[in-house]
Amino acid sequence: MIVVEDVHHTYDVDRAHPVTALKGINLHIEEGEYVVIIGRNGSGKSTLAKHFNALLIPTSGDVSIKGMNTKDPQHLTTIRHSVGMVFQVPDNQIIATVVEEDVAFGPENMGLPLQELRARVDEALTVVDMLDHRTRPPHMLSAGQKQRVVIAGAIAMRPACLVLDEATAMLDPRGRRDVLDTMQQLHAQGVTIIAITHFMREAVEGTRVIVMDQGNIAMDGPPQRIFSQADELRQLGLDLPQVTQLAERIHRRTPAFPTPLLSVEECVEELCRLPQSAVVSS
Amino acid sequence: MTDYSAFGNLTIGQYLPYGSLVHHLDPRAKIVMFSLLVAGVTFASSFSASVLLLAALMGIVRLSRTPLRYALQGLRPALPWIAIFATLQLLFYQGQYGSDVCSTIWSWGFINITTCSIRQIGLMVLRLLEFMIVISLLTLTTTTAELTHGMDLLLSPLRRLRFPAHELSLIFAIALRFAPTLAGELERIMKAQASRGADFGEQGRLRFIQRTRNMLPLMVPLFLSALRRAEDLTLAMEARGYTGGKGRTSYVTLSAQPADYLALGTVCVFCAILFFLPLETLDTLIVATVSHNMQEVYSLIAH
Repeated sequence: MIVVEDVHHTYDVDRAHPVTALKGINLHIEEGEYVVIIGRNGSGKSTLAKHFNALLIPTSGDVSIKGMNTKDPQHLTTIRHSVGMVFQVPDNQIIATVVEEDVAFGPENMGLPLQELRARVDEALTVVDMLDHRTRPPHMLSAGQKQRVVIAGAIAMRPACLVLDEATAMLDPRGRRDVLDTMQQLHAQGVTIIAITHFMREAVEGTRVIVMDQGNIAMDGPPQRIFSQADELRQLGLDLPQVTQLAERIHRRTPAFPTPLLSVEECVEELCRLPQSAVVSS
Repeated sequence: MTDYSAFGNLTIGQYLPYGSLVHHLDPRAKIVMFSLLVAGVTFASSFSASVLLLAALMGIVRLSRTPLRYALQGLRPALPWIAIFATLQLLFYQGQYGSDVCSTIWSWGFINITTCSIRQIGLMVLRLLEFMIVISLLTLTTTTAELTHGMDLLLSPLRRLRFPAHELSLIFAIALRFAPTLAGELERIMKAQASRGADFGEQGRLRFIQRTRNMLPLMVPLFLSALRRAEDLTLAMEARGYTGGKGRTSYVTLSAQPADYLALGTVCVFCAILFFLPLETLDTLIVATVSHNMQEVYSLIAH
């Protein structure tokens, strides 16, 4: 679905001090994957994400979406229609003064007929559970609701892939949970999800975790494997999810306790299974 | 200033969802109607025409079921300026009023108060009142979304002449969309500065110079944040495949009903009456009647 080949990207804001954000990235993302990209500030996560729908063009190397190279201006609209993007601040992504009209913005750009526009707006608002708010002005909504409207705007274009660039950073825990649930639902429907996040807890949601560091991919693999390498992660300035940390500590005292554990449910289950003697001895 | 709300008493741009006859009119018809009325207010040079207009506007206010108080609220901040202009006109207006001859009421040195200056002031106050009502009425009964779609569709025939109709109405829509956001931002910046000891002064009526000066340090952070938001918005729009008005379809459709044509027709006829009837003569006639100058009344009627 997405193929990234030896991509370098240099920001030329200041000619004397060019900033190299990506230093030779190679990456294949298959259809239907749920990829979570984590890394420190300035590790190049956002820069990489903006290459996925041709908002940025690589300084050298190639990015292709379903075989279409992002360097080719001919494919630009098709690429934008097949890869949706959601950014951090919901307020700055809403264009219209009414919720449903904002959701319709993308499909309008695709030149769809009215019937189809209506169907897509209904469908997208149903997915994010905002149908009741369709005629409200966006500035009256909470941040979490606004971000769901933005997601509805992206999925109304029926993209094959959805990229979330720290889309949950401004939300409270409830709003974050809502957005993550929506992502799981879309993933179940076969949409490829690429999420960039600072929250380790969210990294667990995916089927694949990519750790970036200083413009390179430092680690790449299923969350189980990534989070078993606690020391490497710490060296990259990252932490384990809270539950995983807890499990690791228990494991150090009671080697029978499995690690890594990624969800609270798993941890509770394992704790219950722990023999009484082990608990007493430690 | 204890209250940091930035747009607390601004009525222009507020919408009152009363669902009246006026609310349900096609926004295109409304925009044309209200433009005609604004033209009427601008060109009505006689007292009678102004009074007729005011009466008509009151009628529309009643029809729209909006409280008159709301329509007039926006006038309050303008009152000091109206007073200043009125005083200036009262003292220094020298001109003639129509074909009327001015009679001096009071004169002292270069100050010359005539019947004409008094009439001129009355006309100015009426005009401002009517402007306020017309503009408030449009925004009180029409949502910003309706307004922008109305504009977009009204201007769309000009697209063939390469006039950027869609782009223009999109700019308008985005400005409206971000007005409350930026107002909230301004509020936040004010609170942040006040918490570090900035003094925005008491809400005194006569301290507006100082208040204006205190606004300056707010402008730089506000502009910076607006620019950052603009950059984000451009990215978001591009990511959603926006490439300008070409090849775009529209989610919102408008269809004019018989009521819209009827309303538009009525306003057209009304404005035509204002324009073509010799209302200035009516003015003179009324003045003559009031001043019991019967001879002039007869000659005017005969005329």
